[in-house]
Amino acid sequence: MHGRPRKASKPEEEAASAAKAVKLRSLQSQFMTYHHDKIYTKEAIELSTKLLEINPEAYTAWNYRKLAVEDSLSRIGPDPSLVKPILDEELRVVENALKQNFKSYGAWHHRKWVLSKGHSSTGNELKLLDKFQKLDSRNFHAWNYRRFVVELTNRSEQDELQYTDDMINNNFSNYSAWHNRSVLLSSLLANRADGFVPEKKIPDEYEIVHQAIFTDPDDQSGWFYHLWLLDQTVNVESPLLTSSWPSHGSSVILSGAGCFNGSPSNFTTFCSETGSFPLILYFDQAVGGVSSLTVTLDSELKGNENLVWEPISNKSSQVSCVWVARLNFSSQPCGSKDYKVKVRLGNSPGIVSSRGFNFSAPYEFVFTAHVHDPAKDSQERIVSWTDGFELWDAQSKDLNSLVTLGQLNAGIDLKWRQAAIDSEIECFRLLADSKIGKLTLARLLMASEAMMSDAAVKGVHYEEILQLYNDLMALDSSHHHYYKDEHSVAFLHKVTSSSESLSRYLFRYRDMNNLVCLRLNKLSLSRIASVNKLLFVQMLDLSHNELHSTEGLEAMQLLSCLNLSHNRIRSFSALDSLRHVKQLKVLDVSHNHIGKHSVDTTRYLCSSPLSNSDLSQDDVRRQNPGLVTKYWDAYFVLRDLNLKQLDIAGNEIAGDEFNSFVLQVVPKLVWLNGQKPGN
Amino acid sequence: MEELPILTVSQREQFLVENDVFGYYGYFEASDVSTQKSMMEIQRDKQLDYLMKGLRQLGREFSSLDANRPWLCYWILHSIALLGESVDDELENNAIEFLGRCQGSDGGYGGGPGQLPHLATTYAAVNALVTIGGDKALSSINREKMSCFLRRMKDRSGGFRMHDMGEMDVRACYTAISVASILNIMDDELTRGLGDYILSCQTYEGGIGGEPGSEAHGGNTYCGLATMILINEVDSLNLDSLMNWAVHRQGVEMGFQGRTNKLVDGCYTFWQAAPCVLLQRFYSAHDLVHHGSSHISQGTDEDHEDHHDPEDSDDDDDSDEEDSDEGSVNGHGVHHTSIYINRRVQPVFDSLGLQRYVLLCSKMPDGGFRDKPRKPPDFYHTCYCLSGLSVAQHAWSKDEDTPPLTRDVLGSYSNLLEPVHLLHNVVMDRYNEAIEYFFKAA
Repeated sequence: MHGRPRKASKPEEEAASAAKAVKLRSLQSQFMTYHHDKIYTKEAIELSTKLLEINPEAYTAWNYRKLAVEDSLSRIGPDPSLVKPILDEELRVVENALKQNFKSYGAWHHRKWVLSKGHSSTGNELKLLDKFQKLDSRNFHAWNYRRFVVELTNRSEQDELQYTDDMINNNFSNYSAWHNRSVLLSSLLANRADGFVPEKKIPDEYEIVHQAIFTDPDDQSGWFYHLWLLDQTVNVESPLLTSSWPSHGSSVILSGAGCFNGSPSNFTTFCSETGSFPLILYFDQAVGGVSSLTVTLDSELKGNENLVWEPISNKSSQVSCVWVARLNFSSQPCGSKDYKVKVRLGNSPGIVSSRGFNFSAPYEFVFTAHVHDPAKDSQERIVSWTDGFELWDAQSKDLNSLVTLGQLNAGIDLKWRQAAIDSEIECFRLLADSKIGKLTLARLLMASEAMMSDAAVKGVHYEEILQLYNDLMALDSSHHHYYKDEHSVAFLHKVTSSSESLSRYLFRYRDMNNLVCLRLNKLSLSRIASVNKLLFVQMLDLSHNELHSTEGLEAMQLLSCLNLSHNRIRSFSALDSLRHVKQLKVLDVSHNHIGKHSVDTTRYLCSSPLSNSDLSQDDVRRQNPGLVTKYWDAYFVLRDLNLKQLDIAGNEIAGDEFNSFVLQVVPKLVWLNGQKPGN
Repeated sequence: MEELPILTVSQREQFLVENDVFGYYGYFEASDVSTQKSMMEIQRDKQLDYLMKGLRQLGREFSSLDANRPWLCYWILHSIALLGESVDDELENNAIEFLGRCQGSDGGYGGGPGQLPHLATTYAAVNALVTIGGDKALSSINREKMSCFLRRMKDRSGGFRMHDMGEMDVRACYTAISVASILNIMDDELTRGLGDYILSCQTYEGGIGGEPGSEAHGGNTYCGLATMILINEVDSLNLDSLMNWAVHRQGVEMGFQGRTNKLVDGCYTFWQAAPCVLLQRFYSAHDLVHHGSSHISQGTDEDHEDHHDPEDSDDDDDSDEEDSDEGSVNGHGVHHTSIYINRRVQPVFDSLGLQRYVLLCSKMPDGGFRDKPRKPPDFYHTCYCLSGLSVAQHAWSKDEDTPPLTRDVLGSYSNLLEPVHLLHNVVMDRYNEAIEYFFKAA
């Protein structure tokens, strides 16, 4: 679509161009006659040649030639000596056309067509390409064509890699060459071509890209390639299980509605009205195929033979990092018996990452469940976030069973990855005075932490990472939000890096039988992270932060009380992920920005969501279509929650009308803004 | 490193361009207020003269782009519409009549009368006719045959071919889907497997290449993203990395480059800024997507699209962003992955900087816009510089009933252009007219 610039014209040039136009038009009209009458004589074909050499954009003429070639081939039979000159002529015409305009889609495509007839010599094609790529080393037509030729002729990818070497040596700013290098290496590494093992090749590649980056730190090409390399270093192809709830070796206490009285450890107590509890699997990347076929359960809790596994994801897709099944315990007698549950994954194939890699390393974990009597007293008391908290006295034994420090699968070759990251860290400390240098260093340090298995040194980098992001926020204000988010992520990784650091944020909440509450309030968090380490959390205080959405919390399937007051939530849509948290009873979103800004229905991304007839009608919509339309974002979230207590004061949206609407949508609500409705 | 770094060819070229661009900026800074004012003027009259001259010439004869005449119609007519003007009846009728002759008997439009129907020229012809508007123009499009033509271009792999036996790429997919959407002839057959094809063209850089294996490219990134939104599969792209890539193609010159480490070019003002704004809007509403199944709204209730940013300007919480137009986007296109985008209270790119590049470096004082200094103007660049300028001006608007603030429009407020529909790049009210017309036609 990119038109070639036309030159500013002088009178004599204009005359010449007018003459050219006349000539072209007569050629064109004669050509059209031939084309429409399907005339494929020598004379007619020559005319199309002439036309294309003047105007390679005349795609109709390229098609005409394809028809003409097919016509001749059908008449001469398969004799190669007769076929060759016909196809050679096509290649010649294309070459001339490309000389005229080497950005012509039609010409390149015609050449591909000729080649796919089985007529080609790799040598010739590469020579031609060389010529064009010398003239314009970033011409993407030429690069595309090159990849096409390589694939068609089975030219070795290693030779092609050598070619990118040459191109990069000639001009290290040529990103097209770097790009092709990443494409080739991906393929060579994936196929484990001879010598192409990541632990050898990736470090070599770091060496190569350093030359570019250190020669001119302002050149983008090397940085992009470096980022690709970092991905290759960090990412393990096969998906891994990073955590689960209940975790391995833990012992959970289950109880019906109303809750636990005097249970020995409140950490692991879970009560449920429905007589079931969630079994949560958290993978390091989105996977599909989690089912009762791929996850087997040896359970002394009866009635859980055919578990239904659900992906927990905001997208309506069948892949997710988080999968949940609900185990039934209501049919078990209460008492002293411990029920043992063993969960095994990866014994039969089927769990596949969205990039197509199998969960291959078999893994199993065991926990025990103890079923308790429900308490009699199931009075609906208001949950207050202001008092009733006592600092957690670190009972490390309890904690350790909860905080599983990630599944650093034995099967992974961490060694070379760690070594590569370490040497990169050394290297980039030298460039740490530039923004991009600081950012890269921070990313490398994060990658290093992610791979650290030695508990003794785990966490040593976080202070430095946080400092780097602080520096970046000060240096580069236009990307402030990005750095802020990364800072939050690093901070939460730090908090969850050890039981000791985590315990500083743990409290007991007296009013709910000493339920453990994680209080991450007043920390300037703008983003939630490390949720996989926090699956056990049932009460979470995130108040007085800078959160804009609850994305990530959907994995916390045990969460029953959540405080988001004094954040930057702008609409109920930002709470959408909470729709997956079926246990949630208490939600405080007071003092946010809900309703302050009109919700953008992005009228062209999807029209008003209520205009879709496939949405089911319910009573609220029938009785009060006007309010539903007005508060549709609240409606969609609230109707899927089972809240008992909601605080929305201090938001623009709050008011009598909205309150009464909330009560229609959530009739079971016991507390609204600290009051019993109707009082 | 012992030796002095040697400049590569690309670096030398980059250096020269920066020199030119900063030369213009320097000259502007040094000028007196009245000169500055006139330098910032869009020069509507000059622009209109340039465009009208082109349109009349088109009526007579044309040579070099003979397979691209519907494109010229679209580039010129759309540019005129962006300026808030229209052409007289005679020229309109000529254009309708000419495009009618480009329409193939089996549907679709070719590059000229008698030429094979081609998806790109079909897109250009349909957009040109939508831009002209009115029953005569809109009814001249044969929707039934168009539907057949689009199906013929559909490849089993999921993508589309540009024409019979032609090449398959992301442009072809976009032009087919844009046309199908605006004409209200989209169906499952057209969209089957398409999302996967586009997905296979997204690279690790974040942008989208023309075909699988290609490096990311601005035009194809726009085409791929718009297609995915139109077929309601945008979720499956890696949107964070796409946004990062697009945002960071804005370099020190403040214009956009088309690919990693290429020179700035005025036409990417549209190709790169439009994806940024699309994603910005998508993010601010991403929670809605799974509620709604409709890929595009119908009817005319969406008569404004120059609103996306639900943030009040007086929101003190985010005041740290108010100065982002100072421009420290430095062209380092390294991923700034981020959800932060969905809360940006301002355009995610430097909108005023971009407007400045277009007005000072791309705009020709005698009419027309160009790629960069030292290049001649042409209608292609005029169309996409103006479209991009409109996108940049409207990237700030606060709500549907509010036009951009004075401070959002660089230069005098008379520089304000008509808003465009970001997925089709036609002026908004023409889009509304067409969508209503084809909604009834179904």
